[in-house]
Amino acid sequence: MKKQIPLIDIAYARSGDKGDVSDIGVMAKDKKAYEILKKYLTAERVKEHFQGIVKGDVVRYEMDNLDSLEFVMFNALGGGATRTLAMDQTGKAFGCNLLRMILEVDE
Amino acid sequence: MGSISKRPDPQQDLKKIRLGAGSASWGDMLDPAIDLVKYGKLDYIGFDHLAELTLSILQRMKAKDPKRGYIPDLIPWTQTLLPLCHAKGIKMLTNAGGANPEQGGEEVLKIAKAANLPGLKVGVVAGDDIFDRIQDIHKRGIKLANMDTGEEDIDRIMDRIVAANVYIGSERLVEALGKGADVVVTGRCTDNALYIAPMVHEFGWAMDDWDKIAAGITIGHIIECTTGCTGGMSNFWKDIKEPWRAAFPIAEVYENGDAIITKPKETGRFITEWTVKEHLVYEVHDPRNYLMADGIADLTHLSIKEVAKDEVRVTGFKGKPKPKMLKLCIGYEDGWIGESEISVSWPDALEKAKFCESFLRGRFKEKNLEIQEIRVDYIGVNSLHGPLASVPHPSELNEVRVRVAVRTSSKEVANLVRREVTHLWTHGPVGSTAVISPPPPRQVISLWPTLIPREEVPTRLIMREV
Repeated sequence: MKKQIPLIDIAYARSGDKGDVSDIGVMAKDKKAYEILKKYLTAERVKEHFQGIVKGDVVRYEMDNLDSLEFVMFNALGGGATRTLAMDQTGKAFGCNLLRMILEVDE
Repeated sequence: MGSISKRPDPQQDLKKIRLGAGSASWGDMLDPAIDLVKYGKLDYIGFDHLAELTLSILQRMKAKDPKRGYIPDLIPWTQTLLPLCHAKGIKMLTNAGGANPEQGGEEVLKIAKAANLPGLKVGVVAGDDIFDRIQDIHKRGIKLANMDTGEEDIDRIMDRIVAANVYIGSERLVEALGKGADVVVTGRCTDNALYIAPMVHEFGWAMDDWDKIAAGITIGHIIECTTGCTGGMSNFWKDIKEPWRAAFPIAEVYENGDAIITKPKETGRFITEWTVKEHLVYEVHDPRNYLMADGIADLTHLSIKEVAKDEVRVTGFKGKPKPKMLKLCIGYEDGWIGESEISVSWPDALEKAKFCESFLRGRFKEKNLEIQEIRVDYIGVNSLHGPLASVPHPSELNEVRVRVAVRTSSKEVANLVRREVTHLWTHGPVGSTAVISPPPPRQVISLWPTLIPREEVPTRLIMREV
């Protein structure tokens, strides 16, 4: 059986930019949530979520000490804040955008 | 903060200093910086005014007038804060020198003279600006490949470069403090160098004591974005009772590197484990290798703990030797963006927005405009989440704001985009309105981030005195 968990129920997120790279820090609301994030919130899943927006690779880093994951997304900001035609030039809403995701979790 | 000394403190015998973060960007709020100086019991205050694009804007200001190129905010900030800081013995470190730190230092001296502060010392740190040498450096065989895209053909942009600044470390800032500087003015140093320098100076840390340098990098990172760790940009915004009361942070740093992140009790917002964590995960890329000019911080051993209201203790700093290469950010002219907006009203707001988009795309095509990229946003529907946005049922939309943006090599074409949107006022569907005054075409400065060997970037300190 699979259970559906909205990411927004178990995590917080903050995003920022460096050039054309978008960074999203995802903070689990508790230890149990962090284990779920580590297992299901993979770089592939995030890359798939941002289809049509992020054109490059997505790399995931783990911060066990802070129950947090860091996603680094390349070629993600239309050439970077100074060049993009997007209104969200720095991808500040990317964290909120990620939190729309629904995780399919094994019960 | 009195509460710290009253509580049993394992670090009570250690020397400590208090660093305030007085600015996070060009245009940040001044009032919380004044609060920090008045109530923060500070020893130092740092001001970061530079973002990636800023140097390109400042270089163009300097090209028009060699006596400009520093952050204009330097003047009102210094006029307001220097007398207050001087009276309390608080030293100021600012990167508002921007593209012209020498002139920035000159302006600080003028203000100090006018405020009758004889003997005041200003340290100017320069050498980050390699604009004049970039061609020569490249000709000598240094590749300068774009670290985002991997592209090596920098000759393609060479004649369009407007700025080339290296993120330098804290070395010269430390030297300035050692020579008694009351104010240190720099160009493009790393943001956290403004905070590492006082720690190294006060505690006598060796510049190759990598765990200590990592402490400086990490603590600097936590506070450098000012409200970034005090409830600004926060997931916890609903907990803020009085949104209009801002707060900038203070790091109380001990000589062993441990720190307490806090704020004056007279200010608003809050500092919790969460607000500190929110900023620790912000823009760090690989948390095991947070690369700075002064060293590399491994953030995966950190421990954060709320020890009192608005006091979060940060410990567990691990560092690695500084990288051999420094980051160089090159800005170059890359065409123009023209943009404009119009609102469409219920009923059928979304359908009307689509009509407007069709009108604009069709007009651009018929007029055969030289356009490299077009983007149309429906503000209120998809401007932030793009293709991932869930679109509300059309009947629920009271209004949609249509925004079009194009990139083109021509300023004239960028300007035409504004006119075309204005035509929708009379040629669009019923209830099309609120064009307001479209922004003028803006020149695109694209960035070419790259790496450069340290030895190519000699820096210098110039000490001045009132």
